[in-house]
Amino acid sequence: MTHLLEVDGLKTHFFTHDGVVLAVDGVSFTLDAGQTLGVVGESGSGKSVTALSIMGLIPAAQGRVVAGDIRFKGESIVGIDEDKMREIRGNRIAMIFQDPMTSLNPVFRVGVQVAESLRIHKGMNKADANQRAVELLDLVGIPHPAERARDYPHQFSGGMRQRAMIAMALACDPDILVADEPTTALDVTIQAQIIDLMMSLQERTGSAVIMITHDLGVVADIADNVLVMYAGKPAEYGKADEVFYKPLHPYAWGLLDSLPRHDVNEKTELCPIKGQPPSLVNVPPGCAFHPRCPYVKDICRTAVPELRDIGGGHMAACHFAGEAGFTRVEMACAGVSA
Amino acid sequence: MSPADKNMGNPDHIGEAHNPEEFHPDGGMGTTPVAVIDSEASSRTLLRDAIRRLRRNKLAIAAIIWIVIMVAVALSADLWVGSVLGDPIKIDTTQVVKQSLQTPTLAHPFGRDDLGRDILARVIYGARISLAVGVIATAISVFIGLIMGALAAYYGGLLDSFVMRLTDVFLAFPYILFAIALIAVLGRGFVNIFIAIGLLGWPTIARVFRSSILQVKENEYVDAARALGAGDVRIMARHIMPNAVAPIIVYATMSIGGAILTEAAMSFLGVGILQPTPAWGLMLSDARGYIYNAPHLMIFPGLAILTTVLAFVLLGDGLRDALDVKMKD
Repeated sequence: MTHLLEVDGLKTHFFTHDGVVLAVDGVSFTLDAGQTLGVVGESGSGKSVTALSIMGLIPAAQGRVVAGDIRFKGESIVGIDEDKMREIRGNRIAMIFQDPMTSLNPVFRVGVQVAESLRIHKGMNKADANQRAVELLDLVGIPHPAERARDYPHQFSGGMRQRAMIAMALACDPDILVADEPTTALDVTIQAQIIDLMMSLQERTGSAVIMITHDLGVVADIADNVLVMYAGKPAEYGKADEVFYKPLHPYAWGLLDSLPRHDVNEKTELCPIKGQPPSLVNVPPGCAFHPRCPYVKDICRTAVPELRDIGGGHMAACHFAGEAGFTRVEMACAGVSA
Repeated sequence: MSPADKNMGNPDHIGEAHNPEEFHPDGGMGTTPVAVIDSEASSRTLLRDAIRRLRRNKLAIAAIIWIVIMVAVALSADLWVGSVLGDPIKIDTTQVVKQSLQTPTLAHPFGRDDLGRDILARVIYGARISLAVGVIATAISVFIGLIMGALAAYYGGLLDSFVMRLTDVFLAFPYILFAIALIAVLGRGFVNIFIAIGLLGWPTIARVFRSSILQVKENEYVDAARALGAGDVRIMARHIMPNAVAPIIVYATMSIGGAILTEAAMSFLGVGILQPTPAWGLMLSDARGYIYNAPHLMIFPGLAILTTVLAFVLLGDGLRDALDVKMKD
């Protein structure tokens, strides 16, 4: 069966003076129409590079997809002709960027920018495209869309700019919407609105969504599948409920323990993961997570764990995942020392 | 200053109370367009914003007024200067002895020069030369500089290195010396002065534009445009150029003043405008011999250079503030 999007063993490396950066190193997942995939991980875990690889936006001077394949509707889109890629970009696969404050061009009216992809891909004339842009701005909940379409970005608040960005991304009714931390730069009060908006629009349009975030709460709510990334590699992949309620990888446990919860004693301190993500130039040998893992054993220091199916499509890249007796110690940081 | 003061009370910024932070407790879904309440604010444009900011800058307004007056006077000179003040070039041989070095009078407010010609008339005709040199030489610099800067920034790599080393070579020469050398090669003449000064100016424009493009290129909206499927040409023309061009407008305005100054210096040194054409630098050069007994020969062309160059620099300074999108007043 052909999936809408298949990412198969994707490796995207950057070539710098310091050495080769293994930004994405063996990521696989599939996405079907209407589905939502949550990609979570710390900064520098390769989430955004995965997204840019799908968009074909890895700057050629610095890096490229060195292995693996990305198939859109069964056809590979890695290394295809730039003209062909441009027809997909913004048209079939659209992207929402992290920071709405800088993602809109300050010298053009918002409506013109929303209309831009319609003019590029649909060949609409100015008047039709602008008319459609107003409808799109209305769709994403911008009041007085006809008037606001004539505003410049600096006259919009952050939340409204992100709505405008969503309108831009949805203009051509794409099959896939890639959202790279769409709420990170927004006020907490606006974040939920934007997520709600995206989800209701997804229901309406039936597009698939790749939601890149480090907010596990968002993922648990909206995603069908979740991919947890660490140091450019998949750490855990499975259905959202499984990953969220029965996580298998110690990294996923750590992420969950780092979150404030309402069901534990208010005096319980948060339990952050110790240390920092590794440099992607010198990834630790063995399991990349082993220097920070409270459950580390000898084998972790030498052998790279493969991502394997623990059961029912729930996959984890840990030597001990699924073993009897290898279970999460709640708030492990207090007891187990690294 | 008074016209600028009048502008300060302009009712242009009444629409400013507009607040974009409208709150939507329902997540904003299904909101229908309601009556226009903020069309005043919506009709504001970047250009209008810039003009409004420029109006508040008294020095810039004074500079604009001075430049407009000069341009008007210089352009209309043929119509009235000859009959009112006298010919700026022709020497009235019958009157030379009597009129030579005449100090300012009501009929000849700037006095007369050593050959009995009206200095105001010569300053006015000199303005034609100076303004033409300033504008045309700068246009040449901007034309070459924009192309070179854009090529360097957009393609990078070897081409970038080549263009930048070329600018290094140009900038390594002393400015006036280089201009003189160019004139020596090209030959003296009006057009060659445009070319020489224009060729001198492009490296700075190219560098400013290159760095400006490099900075703009890093902006997320350029990535966003690429993610929309926009091609190279579209991204360059619509997303990079308009955002990178503001520093060029500012720098070009200021360099009009610089070009005027260079032309004056060259004429002063005798490698610029040829006698008997009235040019400010040439007039200063002629006035050297009379600096003690007839200082008005030197003062008025000197003041003309000073005020004109200052006006363009102040206007450039005002434009810098006015064109800054982030300056929300």
